[in-house]
Amino acid sequence: MKQKEARLGYWLVLPTLVLIVGLIFYPVIYNLWLSLHKVNMNPTKPNIFIGLSHYWNVVTDMDFWIALKTSIIFTVTTVVGTTLLGLGVALLLNKEFKGRSIVRGIILLPYVAPVISLVFGWKYLFHPVFGMVNYILVDLLHLLPQHINWVESPQFAIYTVILFNIWRNFPFAFLMILAELQSISSVLYEAAEIDGATGWQKFTYVTLPGLKYVMGALVILRTIWNFYKFDEIYLLSRSVVTVPVYVYEKAFSNFNFGEGAAITTILFILVMSFILYYVKKVLEW
Amino acid sequence: MVKKNVLPKKIGFSVLLFLLLAFVLIPYIMMISSSFKPASEQFLFPPKVLPQNPTLEHYKGVLNPDVFPFLNYFKNSMIVAFSVSAIGVFVAIFGSYSFARLEYKGRGTIQRMVLLVYMFGGILLVIPLFQIIAKLGLFNTRTSLIITYIVQTLPVSLYMLGNYFRTIPISIEEAAIIDGCSRLEVIFRIVLPLSAPAIVSVFIYAFMIAWNEYLFASVFINSEGLRTLPIGLSQLFYTQHYIWGRMMAASLLTAIPVIILFLSIERFITGGLTYGGVKG
Repeated sequence: MKQKEARLGYWLVLPTLVLIVGLIFYPVIYNLWLSLHKVNMNPTKPNIFIGLSHYWNVVTDMDFWIALKTSIIFTVTTVVGTTLLGLGVALLLNKEFKGRSIVRGIILLPYVAPVISLVFGWKYLFHPVFGMVNYILVDLLHLLPQHINWVESPQFAIYTVILFNIWRNFPFAFLMILAELQSISSVLYEAAEIDGATGWQKFTYVTLPGLKYVMGALVILRTIWNFYKFDEIYLLSRSVVTVPVYVYEKAFSNFNFGEGAAITTILFILVMSFILYYVKKVLEW
Repeated sequence: MVKKNVLPKKIGFSVLLFLLLAFVLIPYIMMISSSFKPASEQFLFPPKVLPQNPTLEHYKGVLNPDVFPFLNYFKNSMIVAFSVSAIGVFVAIFGSYSFARLEYKGRGTIQRMVLLVYMFGGILLVIPLFQIIAKLGLFNTRTSLIITYIVQTLPVSLYMLGNYFRTIPISIEEAAIIDGCSRLEVIFRIVLPLSAPAIVSVFIYAFMIAWNEYLFASVFINSEGLRTLPIGLSQLFYTQHYIWGRMMAASLLTAIPVIILFLSIERFITGGLTYGGVKG
């Protein structure tokens, strides 16, 4: 009986295992192999082993370092932005009021709609000539001296991309934090009140410690996802070149697959080292 | 003393709530209004929130196959997303039942391997997968997208279903086995009917991921006839068809199916199944 159960267990998990090994683990290893070869543009032709020279090309390429700097700026600001905004909104909505479930549904809209639809709305809103944002900031409030090309200027597009990412992804942080907030026992708040704690003290001594793990997990997940983020950036602005955008152009515009593979390998090592460091030193797990 | 604070607090709360909703909704409002603005109003300055002479011409243009192959892209997206959901749900049902209820060596290791998928974003996989797809002769086929998307949705699907299966009292399953049901009969006759809401949610989740995906679709497909909506729409932006009103109409028509599907399962997703995380 036990053996039969175990055998069935293997059979049932087999499709999952085949798919994950075949389409995740094998490609990751194959990517390493590709990064050591001059990859023929025609995938059916053989590749030539060239050792580490792709890696050498990457680390001596100024454009790679610029893309890495952009990636780091993008990731740090969006991770902080989505987490803090998610926290703020979760605190705001962590109480009963009329229409709460409708509000919660509306807040999740940016997170579920297709990126492709949203970017067109944003391009329109931030249009350099007739966009609403320029109209409000420049013509109505006079905060800026002239209209800015928020979408395609190399200097300002990064702000739009960061704001777009925060706008689109804060609902996820909101949802996770709200779930955790609702699980903090009210007894803790009552005890703090009896001890004479102010609202701020209750927040720092009861709420924040209760949220430590969910916030830690959110920072890790969002860091990974945003370091690898491609579509939200590439579709909104062609002027913001993060490492994933750089890889995409190397591989699929210049057809330099080997160098692309070398960059993604470096990217993977960077992300993994950050996570290991963060988990050990910052979260002390 | 307490009462004195109530009114300002209420006003403060309302103001913050209003600002939040404005922040979230303004892009949608502008998209909807501009999809109804005639071409002459698109470039009005200062921009108007409401269309002066609302028109349906952009929607008609989008839905007219002679003007724009929107319906063909829609059909392709539908085929791909539906296949991903249907096949993915079956793979996930078997896999998560195996994780939740059956004991065997290596189960924990396999479960951890599934979680590791989170560490690999699409950009890490797109180059090797492109090479593999091409070598297998799957380049420019819907199959290439379907299998890739199934794997992308598996971790969350397995997690959501596994959690749900564990809430079903094990005694029900044991009783059925004592009555002579095989494990497979238990799955199909008892577990699946009891898990309908979770299965529907997983189906819709997989559908949404497949419907929205851009990166793999932009690389694996190169013929016009097979393009999915995200690729079709982004191509349109760089052609002469690039008319704001029509772009907005097409964008909204692309977003509406997933928004409706999402709202139908929102309660379930937010009701405690959030911990699997939704990749994005």
